[in-house]
Amino acid sequence: MNNKSTYRRILAISRRELGIYSRRPLFLFCLLVAPVLCVVLFVTLMDDGLPTKLPTGIVDEDNTQISRVITRTIDALEETDIKYSYPDFTEARKAMQRGEIYAFFYIPRGTTEKAISNRQPQISFYTNDAYLLAGSLLMKDLKTASESTGMAITRENLYAHGLTETQAMGIIQPIVIESHPLNNPELDYSVYLNNVLLPGILILLITLATTYTIGLEWKQGTQKRLFAMAGNSSWIALIGKLLPQTLLFSLVFIFYDVYFYQFLRFPCNSGIFPMIMLGILTVLASQGFGVFLFGVFSGQMRLSMCICSLWGILSFSLAGFTYPVTSMAKWLEFFSWIFPLRQYYLIYVNQALNGYPASYVWTSVLTLVVFALLPVLVIRRYRTAFLKYKYKP
Amino acid sequence: MKSILNIAQIWYNELRCICKDPGILMFILFVPFAYPLLYSYIYTNEVVNDVPVAVIDECNNSLSREFIRNIDASSDVKIVAHCNSMDEANELLMGQKTYGIIKIPASFSSDLYHGEQTRVGVYCDMGKMLNYKAILLTTTNVALAMNKDIKVERHLPATTQRQEEITKMPVEYEHVPLYNPQSGFAAFLIPPVLILIIQQTIFLGIGMSMGDSRERNRGSVIPFNKWYKNPVHIVFGKGLPYFFLYILIAVYMFTVVTRIFTLPQLGDYWTFIAFIVPYLLACIFMGMVLSSLVYRREDCIMLFVFMSVPLLFLSGLSYPGASIPEFLKYISYVFPSTFGTNGYVRITAMGASLQDVRTEYCGLWIQTGIYFVMACLYYRHQILNIVKKVKPTL
Repeated sequence: MNNKSTYRRILAISRRELGIYSRRPLFLFCLLVAPVLCVVLFVTLMDDGLPTKLPTGIVDEDNTQISRVITRTIDALEETDIKYSYPDFTEARKAMQRGEIYAFFYIPRGTTEKAISNRQPQISFYTNDAYLLAGSLLMKDLKTASESTGMAITRENLYAHGLTETQAMGIIQPIVIESHPLNNPELDYSVYLNNVLLPGILILLITLATTYTIGLEWKQGTQKRLFAMAGNSSWIALIGKLLPQTLLFSLVFIFYDVYFYQFLRFPCNSGIFPMIMLGILTVLASQGFGVFLFGVFSGQMRLSMCICSLWGILSFSLAGFTYPVTSMAKWLEFFSWIFPLRQYYLIYVNQALNGYPASYVWTSVLTLVVFALLPVLVIRRYRTAFLKYKYKP
Repeated sequence: MKSILNIAQIWYNELRCICKDPGILMFILFVPFAYPLLYSYIYTNEVVNDVPVAVIDECNNSLSREFIRNIDASSDVKIVAHCNSMDEANELLMGQKTYGIIKIPASFSSDLYHGEQTRVGVYCDMGKMLNYKAILLTTTNVALAMNKDIKVERHLPATTQRQEEITKMPVEYEHVPLYNPQSGFAAFLIPPVLILIIQQTIFLGIGMSMGDSRERNRGSVIPFNKWYKNPVHIVFGKGLPYFFLYILIAVYMFTVVTRIFTLPQLGDYWTFIAFIVPYLLACIFMGMVLSSLVYRREDCIMLFVFMSVPLLFLSGLSYPGASIPEFLKYISYVFPSTFGTNGYVRITAMGASLQDVRTEYCGLWIQTGIYFVMACLYYRHQILNIVKKVKPTL
């Protein structure tokens, strides 16, 4: 068999594959509509970047000039929006249960009086950490507000003793923490989450689409015809079948990269080219994984699709971009290696986010390459499957 | 009486079809029972501990060493390296050996002795927000505590212990994290995920069974059979097996999973049951409506699985609902999971009553009504189709 006929066979099978897509709207949906819908959805959802102006309540039992100043100070903070005022603690707690507010600040009666007479009043704030993100963002703000209330009192005293502002600050706050969130200075959640969530969804769709389109041959009983078209070569059959998807999904990845790094200006310190290469490698790795699973379960389409879905959904947790794998059980840390999304995430952080040399993530790149090569292990089983197996529901 | 028999017969058929199908069983039995355990296990440590950081101490004086010691003593952050230069520390950051750098300036102690402000630089890798939060919070807390000591010891000496306390903290404050005392990750993520699993597996189960009957009955979702004549009977008959199974699953999640992994549990049992009933009904009926898109058994996997991630975010739990654009909220109201997750979290974690989750509760019943009618109309349409197809041959 010469090279020319190999190409021709692959092309013929790919053309046949495109024909199948055109007759099934489901393919159009999963290959193009769903990825684009997801990107639009997530980008609009996190349009704010860092959630700001989260509804917060206040219980001001003191109701003096000073307590009102405190209220205004809190309201001016970035994350906090004092939306409601409640007469007492119980009312505020109930409002939290109804989901009106994520946190509230409590100034008990007599706060001002105690503060003036130097009797250490106590104020408190309550955050709803069942909504962890909102809760911890507000915690930060309300903690700052509480600290600065105390500082303000000392500062007024020091001013009264004739100290300058610089002198006073040197006493009140000698050590200042200057935080430098590297490469995402605005703590943009859209940057943080979308860079991993969307490739994750894409990986899930790729593995599913791979097993689905291969499985369809058996389901419709056309596997023998395909095998004949490929000149009895499992490689040619698989490459021809998957090539259109490789191209389409790579295009989707390129679209993501261009949209994120050129249009939305997400940090991209490596330049866009390595990210495009990463995208293509990820497509190949996911397809390799799909082909491998289908081969392992010797053509049981549904079982392999089930595994793909369970795998894909789990990968969002085990990629470790929200909750670090190092904080999970020890074996899960090793287990996380076999999720393409984990490797994608590590390479993304190294490349686009930080722009570090790629040599630090060579193991991850290698793992993705191994994923892409996995079909080698099962190609013999495909041969048997093409010749002998029938579709099993 | 006749309708009850009819429904029972359809119910029996559906149940038999489910039990014979390992694919459906995997989604409606294995996933709802095993995944909650798996997820809870993944997040069982709840919080991030000992985030590795490097420290550059250009001052190297007893004060700066005290600062470093205090940071290392915290539970969240662990100092794994002392570096001499930023380059050296950066090297560790690049290799992900550490996730942050704390840089103490050379003037640290002299600034403090002179009563001037000194600035400690904290550099964080932003690949994970939780690490950033841990590092920043720890350094801030250590700095605040040291500031108070410095204030009293060096500048405003106190004569009594009480006076010292007051000078340190003229206003005392307290932070109470409600409904998730540890501010843990599992307690925050697992409850909504449980509810989402219910919806997604119901969609998958019903979709698969629908695809199955289409394949078996040449494109029709119902067999040509005397039992399948009344759309209302079909909807009830097909829905009942799922309803009973999922009541069990929901109770299992509410009791067993929550208890094993000590997730917050303030919820009242009967409130939960009253809330979960419309949720299950809404999911089942919507599953039937969505299944009209499923032509082959496997199609539903392609359609429904990836939706889980967007739906989790649309629910406004993982990302604060207050920051979600208005029109996306309306889209999210289409899915029972939006009301379901919010209501469930408030009931179990926050001990809300049905009165407190009225919006969600009513929303679910409205969805139940709408999707029930839509499902009935869909089946009616299918019955008419069959009749049309069969008539010419009669």
